Amino acid sequence: MYYLDHGATSFPKPEQVTRAVLRAMEACANPGRGSHPPAELAAEGVFSCRCAAGELFSCLPEQVVFTQNCTQGLNIAIRTLVRPGDRVVISGFEHNAVTRPLHGLGARITVAGRRLFDPADTLRQFRNALNRGAKAAVFTHVSNVFGYVLPVEEMAAECRRRRIPFVIDAAQSAGVLPIDAKALGADFIAMPGHKGLLGPMGTGILICNRLPKPLIMGGTGSESERQEMPDLLPDRAEAGTLNVPGILGLEAGLRRIQEVGPERIKAREQALLSGFASVLRDAGMEVFAGKNQVGALSFRPGCDCQEGAARLAGQGFALRAGLHCAPLAHRSAGTLETGTIRLSVGMDTPEEAVQALGRAVQTSLPPYKY
Amino acid sequence: MKSYLITFRSITYGQRAEQTLRALGKKSRLRRTPRWMEDRGCGYALEVTTGEVSELLAVLRQQQIPWRKVWLARPGGEMEELSNVLP
Repeated sequence: MYYLDHGATSFPKPEQVTRAVLRAMEACANPGRGSHPPAELAAEGVFSCRCAAGELFSCLPEQVVFTQNCTQGLNIAIRTLVRPGDRVVISGFEHNAVTRPLHGLGARITVAGRRLFDPADTLRQFRNALNRGAKAAVFTHVSNVFGYVLPVEEMAAECRRRRIPFVIDAAQSAGVLPIDAKALGADFIAMPGHKGLLGPMGTGILICNRLPKPLIMGGTGSESERQEMPDLLPDRAEAGTLNVPGILGLEAGLRRIQEVGPERIKAREQALLSGFASVLRDAGMEVFAGKNQVGALSFRPGCDCQEGAARLAGQGFALRAGLHCAPLAHRSAGTLETGTIRLSVGMDTPEEAVQALGRAVQTSLPPYKY
Repeated sequence: MKSYLITFRSITYGQRAEQTLRALGKKSRLRRTPRWMEDRGCGYALEVTTGEVSELLAVLRQQQIPWRKVWLARPGGEMEELSNVLP
């Protein structure tokens, strides 16, 4: 099988990730609770993962809060910054993990920048929207549907200049694009542990540049006599037992990325995407590709997208069709009615997958009718 | 050389302090803070033997690692809280 669904989760995981999970299952108890060797071993592993993330994303270890996934991190961040009725600026390529919490809170949402692969337009629209006043901004680094890389450094600078708190959704960029939390100055950066960071599912990271409002409350192994959640990181946002096997697996993933280097990963993934775009165009597909693209690519055949993806699955290609939990992004690109088929690559996607997919699409999918 | 106990509000601060001192070649041991020392409930403490504790505390301050209290171990096991080195 050619696995081209890394945007959903990276697969298969590196061997060292699996080994780290197993080792944790065999040797670790609850970190930060007991003072016996299995608890201490777990605590060392958790801290080591915080340090690895801190090194990769330029922040202090205590700024690294472990979550179950990127969605949980985004929910913590949004609930910290946004109150009912607040005006919040978002990009036109946000996932439901951003729009649903905002909708649930009763925020007034302004969508800014809906043109695909046009960072200048994205930035202009975003700036205009901020000028009309906002309590917060939330924007994705990379569209999970189209792989469009938004100009986050410039967007961050616009927010900083106006002192508008902001959140970056790094769901598709963490591990692929450099992320410097210190330079970006975001209040929060949320990311999954199981996609580009190569960790197990059920892991995520929220980098906190301010004290978050806890989503859940409970034991932290610290300041137990007080009934308020500790007002310090990471404890404030980490109530309950941590996913130690997941976190130790995530650390192995982070170390693997450090070993290879995000720049090399990015270059390889971009070369693969360019190859995929070319063979898909040759096969008559409508291809959404651009200069500022990484990780994912969407296309439309001349048949229903779900049907098309099912035919390709039958030939050994794992892709994802539909709306990808991002109806806003599809609305922006004009693909809401049909959805798209998305392929998303990882650092170990073999080059031969490009020609193989080209052949499979050529023989099994009708060309797109413009 | 004297033995000290530096207490922290969270395990992460304690771990970072331990890591920082290790980088200076200073051995220390992270442990739970004795219950009687901790008025907020559970905490963590670093046991360290050193000549001048204020030098270590200056390094922790530089590394943005807040500590809660510093205790000096008296011969015979009695612990004395040092108030003049508080952050």
